[in-house]
Amino acid sequence: MSAAASLPALVATVVDGEALLDTAVASIVGAVVVTLSASLAIYGFATAAEMRRVDRDLAAIGAVGLAMVASLVFAGTIGLGIAVMLTG
Amino acid sequence: MDGDIVLVIVVGTALVFDFTNGFHDTANVVATSISTHAMSPRVAVAIAALLNFAGAFISIEVAATIASDVVEATAITPTVIFAGLVGAICWNLTTWYFGLPSSSSHALIGGVVGAVIAAVGTAAIEGEGILGKVLIPAVLAPIVAFVIGVIAIVIAYRVCGRLRPGPVTRGFRLGQIVSGGMLALAHGTNDAQKTMGVITLALIANGNLPSTGFEVPTWVVVSAASAIALGTYTGGWRIIRTMGTRIIKMDSAQGFSAQGAGAAVILASSHFGYPLSTTQVIAGGVMGAGAGKRVSAVRWGVAGNIVIAWFLTLPGAAAIGAASYGFTQIFGDGAAGPVILSALAIMLGLTLFAQRIRRGQPVPTV
Repeated sequence: MSAAASLPALVATVVDGEALLDTAVASIVGAVVVTLSASLAIYGFATAAEMRRVDRDLAAIGAVGLAMVASLVFAGTIGLGIAVMLTG
Repeated sequence: MDGDIVLVIVVGTALVFDFTNGFHDTANVVATSISTHAMSPRVAVAIAALLNFAGAFISIEVAATIASDVVEATAITPTVIFAGLVGAICWNLTTWYFGLPSSSSHALIGGVVGAVIAAVGTAAIEGEGILGKVLIPAVLAPIVAFVIGVIAIVIAYRVCGRLRPGPVTRGFRLGQIVSGGMLALAHGTNDAQKTMGVITLALIANGNLPSTGFEVPTWVVVSAASAIALGTYTGGWRIIRTMGTRIIKMDSAQGFSAQGAGAAVILASSHFGYPLSTTQVIAGGVMGAGAGKRVSAVRWGVAGNIVIAWFLTLPGAAAIGAASYGFTQIFGDGAAGPVILSALAIMLGLTLFAQRIRRGQPVPTV
């Protein structure tokens, strides 16, 4: 086997691909959930303020609800991340 | 008796390395929060130092990797560990002097590997561990952070892009307090553990700890956490003085995305025991958050320097580590070699620092 051909085989042997994949997936999922929830919370609170200014109270309540749920998801994800680290 | 003297020198040297690690990396942890005005410099540095300290207590997976997956614990001595630390510190000082971006983590691993090769040959090197747990994650982690940075900033702009900028900026600044805190916590978790691993390795080599059943003593955790936190706090004040000219311009959404990407990758990697270069991961996150907005906004020269650092740091630090071990052996197996080398290293370090300060150049952080 040539050196070029054997390198991927060597890498495949010594690398714990599953753990590396878990690390990448956990990083991506965690960061995406945190960013999405924070963005939705900001969107909700900012939209609620806009709606209140134009006297659309129902829409404002809906936006606040969205912001609250997104804030909870944001806080929960951060808490879950720390809990996983502590129990690791 | 000689072994105990060397052990004390090793512990002291490791804690000095940990201090410089915190000192070096403060910029990475706090720069985005400060540049977007999410936090005042004083508050950002204080929080970073506190969370670096807390982060060191979260996990010992990375310490276990350093102590058991890089070199064979039973085949090395405190003098070998000392030479490895000297290799890492000298490499850090050299790159710091010439303004090259290098990784303290890779320098530490390279230094230890070089000293072990000089002492007992390549038989004690855990080649599979170094490749699988150090080299490949080191290459992949900044790329993953870059991708996450791109995804995160695209999400942030898609969701909040049409809103009035005022509330969005305030919202992401608030979010940055959390993401910046997580980044500091992640930094403490990954970087402080490298020092813990080295000190534990020295304790095993000196016979103070059993070679079977890896366990980090509490005093090692506390001292490593304190050293990195103190370094972070001390380094921060230099950053505050020079930040006006050196920090990349970014908005609060980009700062939040970059910090979130860096924190996610470092925390996940620490959980699985991968000793990363936190500098390179955070740089990957920042570049991703920049590229997600506009590809030309990224300083691709910095990316090139990071790639060069990948190639140079491990062999460079390994060469110095090997030379340091060879130097200590001139004076025999006792404590004389490490004592003389420590004195020379301190003098060299102070000379370089004084020269740099005299020239009035800002100290590059990596």
